[in-house]
Amino acid sequence: MAEKLSWTELRRALAKRAGVSEKTAGAFLNAVQAQLLEALKTDKQVKINGLGTFKVQAVAPRKSVNVTTGEEILIEGYNKLAFTPEAGVRELVESSKVESEESNVESSPAIDPIQKLGAQAEEIVDILGDLGQSPKEEPVAEPEPVVEEPKPVIEEPAPEPEPVFIPEPTPVVEPEPEIIVQRPKEEKKKSHFWRDTLICVIILLLLLAGGYFFLRQELSDIIRSFMAPAETEEVIVGEPVLMVEEPAVVEEPAAEEPAAESAPAAESAETAKIPKGKIPQEQILAEFLAASGETVTGTAEYPNLITVEAMHEGSRLTWMSKRFYGKKVYWPYLYDANRDVIDNPNNIDTGTPLRVPKLTKAQMDTTSTAFLQLKQEAEAACKR
Amino acid sequence: MLTKEFIGLVSNESGLSKKETEHLLTTMNAIVRENLMDGKAIQLQGLGAFEIKERKERVIVHPRTGERSVVPSKNQLVFRPVATIKDELNKI
Repeated sequence: MAEKLSWTELRRALAKRAGVSEKTAGAFLNAVQAQLLEALKTDKQVKINGLGTFKVQAVAPRKSVNVTTGEEILIEGYNKLAFTPEAGVRELVESSKVESEESNVESSPAIDPIQKLGAQAEEIVDILGDLGQSPKEEPVAEPEPVVEEPKPVIEEPAPEPEPVFIPEPTPVVEPEPEIIVQRPKEEKKKSHFWRDTLICVIILLLLLAGGYFFLRQELSDIIRSFMAPAETEEVIVGEPVLMVEEPAVVEEPAAEEPAAESAPAAESAETAKIPKGKIPQEQILAEFLAASGETVTGTAEYPNLITVEAMHEGSRLTWMSKRFYGKKVYWPYLYDANRDVIDNPNNIDTGTPLRVPKLTKAQMDTTSTAFLQLKQEAEAACKR
Repeated sequence: MLTKEFIGLVSNESGLSKKETEHLLTTMNAIVRENLMDGKAIQLQGLGAFEIKERKERVIVHPRTGERSVVPSKNQLVFRPVATIKDELNKI
């Protein structure tokens, strides 16, 4: 930066360009100087369009050591004025390759990169030597053309030298260590990929198998419920009829206590109450009785049965409840109606004939004390 | 502070109209830019100097690939504040 546009020169140029007197320009410049300082003091930041932003930056105090005495000293904090050029201005300046400048500066930086690249080349040769390769001929041949080139370069405009010798050493020497490094990475990635996919597939298969195992019973239950939709409908439709036909609602709470006795009492009651059941039920019942050879009929508490069903493998009272009543919560009734054959509701022998009683509206109420008590009893039975 | 406010302050100080001030400011900026392009530094009295500084080209190493490349040299606009301004600002 040999040349410097002085204050007076700037004033003159400004007056000429803007078409005002030098006095006005001077007044303006003085005002700019004074106000810029004032504005910086008040606002800490002044933006000037077409130039950039002036900013006051605080530098924090820091500790240091007195070099001669070894004493610790505190360097006090201070404010400094920073300037950030506008993006447009910055690009303009970056793109400007000033010839007079460059040619002066050229000599020194032109040598630097060559030295650096020479040092690089040596390093790389060392690395390659370690790797058991001997590309010594290349780098030895390299420096000669590189050194030769700068001579014409000095006369040439500035931007040329860089593209000329930068690309040369890089492609010749560098790719080799790169390839050596990259190959294992790729292989590692590949093996990772295959391992991951294998794990994913195994997990998926396990999930499918598990899902099939658990859903099999539920599916079969659902299919059954579809096969006999008429029966499930009957529960809902039949309810009001039940209430008219029998005093079950009244009996229910009272009969709760002698529930244990219901089994022996069942036989006496069944003869009286079976006839009242509907024909399809009786048929099913009869078929079942014929098949199992046992006597399973309605009890005093649950005189009307939807059906009698043999416990099939993997099924649960809750699922049966869901199938016949639409909700799992009614399973205690299934237990209650079959106390004579069920010891532990969680462990019922396959093939055990189970009564599926019709439920009255009062029984359907899951908040009633009778139901809650029954539920407690049933849950207690699970722990046996 | 934005340019508009600054223009207001300067026009108050110099007694010029805002329009004139704005015109002068843009002209000044243009002159500063042109001179910078010409490789000249600009001295602003009592504030500092705008200069162009050359950043030398340097070799960088890509941290992952270890690839070496040269960052070409480029010019940078720097503002060098005058010594007195430091004291002025420390009074804040």
